Amino acid sequence: MQVDLREFRAAYLAEVDEHLGAINAGLLAVEVANRAGRASPRELRELMRLLHTIKGLSAMVGIEPIVGIAHRMETVLRAADEAGGVLGDHALEAMIQGTRAIEAGVRAIAHDEPAPEASAALIAQLDAAEAAPASEQSLPPPIGDAQRPEIEPEIAEKLTASEREEVAQGIAAGRHLLRIDFAPTPAKAERGLTITTLRERILPLGELVRVIPLSRAATESAPGGLVFALLLLTEASAEIIAEAGGVPGSDVREILAARPLPRAVEVNRVEDLPEVVEAQRPGVLRVDVGRIDDTIEKLSGLIVTRSRLARAVGRLREGGADTRELEAIMIDNARQLRDLRAAILRVRMIPIATVLDRLPLVIRGLGRSTGKHVRLVLDGAGAELDKTVAERIFPALVHLLRNAVDHGIESPEERARAGKPEHATVTVTSSSRNNRQIEIRIEDDGRGVDRARVAEKAGRDVPTDNHDLLELLCRPGLSTRDAVNTTSGRGVGMDIVRKIVVEGLGGELALDTTAGRGTIFLIRVPLTIAIVDSFTLRCAGERFVVPVPVVEEIVELDPEKIMRGPRAGGRQARFFERRGETVPLVDLGYALGLGAESDGFTGKQALVVRRGHEDPVAFAIDRVLGQQETVVRPLVDPLVVVAGVSGSTDLGDGRATLVLDLLGLSAKLGRMRKDAA
Amino acid sequence: MSEVLVVDDSKVMREMIGACLRPDPSLAVTQAASGLEAIERLSLQAFDLVVLDLNMPDIGGLEVVEFIRGQDKLRTLPILVVTTRGEDASRASVLAAGASRYLTKPFTPEAILTEVQSLLGGPT
Repeated sequence: MQVDLREFRAAYLAEVDEHLGAINAGLLAVEVANRAGRASPRELRELMRLLHTIKGLSAMVGIEPIVGIAHRMETVLRAADEAGGVLGDHALEAMIQGTRAIEAGVRAIAHDEPAPEASAALIAQLDAAEAAPASEQSLPPPIGDAQRPEIEPEIAEKLTASEREEVAQGIAAGRHLLRIDFAPTPAKAERGLTITTLRERILPLGELVRVIPLSRAATESAPGGLVFALLLLTEASAEIIAEAGGVPGSDVREILAARPLPRAVEVNRVEDLPEVVEAQRPGVLRVDVGRIDDTIEKLSGLIVTRSRLARAVGRLREGGADTRELEAIMIDNARQLRDLRAAILRVRMIPIATVLDRLPLVIRGLGRSTGKHVRLVLDGAGAELDKTVAERIFPALVHLLRNAVDHGIESPEERARAGKPEHATVTVTSSSRNNRQIEIRIEDDGRGVDRARVAEKAGRDVPTDNHDLLELLCRPGLSTRDAVNTTSGRGVGMDIVRKIVVEGLGGELALDTTAGRGTIFLIRVPLTIAIVDSFTLRCAGERFVVPVPVVEEIVELDPEKIMRGPRAGGRQARFFERRGETVPLVDLGYALGLGAESDGFTGKQALVVRRGHEDPVAFAIDRVLGQQETVVRPLVDPLVVVAGVSGSTDLGDGRATLVLDLLGLSAKLGRMRKDAA
Repeated sequence: MSEVLVVDDSKVMREMIGACLRPDPSLAVTQAASGLEAIERLSLQAFDLVVLDLNMPDIGGLEVVEFIRGQDKLRTLPILVVTTRGEDASRASVLAAGASRYLTKPFTPEAILTEVQSLLGGPT
């Protein structure tokens, strides 16, 4: 078997894109720290690690230009780390440019083009940054040894100098240091409590200085001979941390109490960048998203039970019983469940400001690299949206800002000639509409989109209205720039924006542009969505979608091994054996009422599903076509359950594809079998 | 059957290494996405070989090696360290701490498979 690592390019692009997002956030955090006169050793080490990962991955798939840029950026960071954890403003600017260059390389690869080599200017900028790090930055005064708190020796000897400094600074800032002891066991792992989940649970509540693995003699409580000591700087009490981590209170103890130092001088700085880390406000609780999703799962169970109850009441009524009171209760119950679902979905909502606050850094970088003077006005107005939607919309906003600065806004000279103010303005406004959608408006006062130019590039007639113009702009690979430019690469991107907004989030994208006056892009997306990793499959000539977690196994059917059972409920029962277990086989097309029951299973596949601890059921289909993330839109009110269908989705071809609920279908078939028996 | 634990915080990297080892049906690969997870798995389950990335958050490869060599039952477990260009210093310290061999990215699928098989005592 020949292994070709180039097959991993798509996965590579996705992962590097994720790391680039983290790098942008990290650079913003460094900039905020610089303005506040703080060092940022932790951020710098994380940036170093991210770049190192990008470098290694790029080497594996053979993308040398990115290996080279990442390597140089890593070197700049190492120099800054050794110089006390401060990245000076010039070095920061070089890092931003380097990140843009990697982004351009990634975009090129995504379009099957070679990644461009690093420009000589960038290499010179990075080399200069490495040579003279942080010269203009003032280091924060280190905590004097006399004031340095004592830590128990077993732990202290494992900490690096910068971690000890971090602890000292944290204690002085009024936090205390907690030690959480965690011994992994198979039983805990079974309950979902591992070092990974524990870390995730407590991470939002403080600053995890270090996790230290300690070897112990194997005992009943620590069968692996291992105890992790987690050191957490936090304002939260030991009880809250134990509660959040799901560990006994006796395993969390304070090893250093808070000891705030009197502040020498309080310097008031004009901050035009928001603080990245929002302080923990009284009355505000940070919750792991996983827990909220778990609650939604539990609620789905409740909704299924409710529909069983409704059916039971229906049978009573058919049997002649007086069910009027029960039915009145059922109506109340349905409304309460709807309200509960809405209330839980509200918990997942975050302010749009958390997305918009990341935009100033983008604009700042764009302004510098293009030499254009751009002012960003943000108007968030407190609208809220689902966390997943917020994360997905961000790259689309970055694309639109890039296009605005790059193509829309004129050079300062050109603006002067046109009688416009030298500083261009990009305004990003957001507002929620009718509690279902959020609207984000990106407006620039630049030159407007050149219709004739776009039409010429696309080889089409000049569009007469904005709608047709947007269609042309969103053609994959369209560029209105002749030369490759520094920020937008080749000006591609509108197709990606539309993909994110329309296909990814089920939203709308609109354009309004006036020659010489500027351009407005309007994005409307639903406030909440459900995104599920799904298999697409073909069955009875139709395409369907099934969520991946539901499917236990995909089996190739062998007609020789399919056994016939007795006919029951008007259907021919069939079985096959799988690892000593008898699995009933159901023709999915027939079960959905799409045609006569099939007799031949040659070349077909089956999806095996299992409800809880019940016996598995296999659904025969034509083929699994692929796997992708899909946005599921409920077909109807979730309380009106249609057995077998849970919603619809758009796979990107503009057609509605049904999302199948195989568990619901197998439950229905199980009941039919029982009723027939 | 040889149980191999592949430790890397990059999902793509773990999957690439998994694909590289797949041609040998006698290798069963388990993935760990962090040094912490690796240490936890090693404490609870027996493995025949660890393929270890050096550069990970929280706990890097060096600490994983130090932990493994500090445990009686893991003292002879073969460790193949995967490094990247520019990691010479950490490579030296990880070998000093007891890693068996190292491989530098980029490597070919054949190269890692050969290393793994030879650490496990020749092609199986």
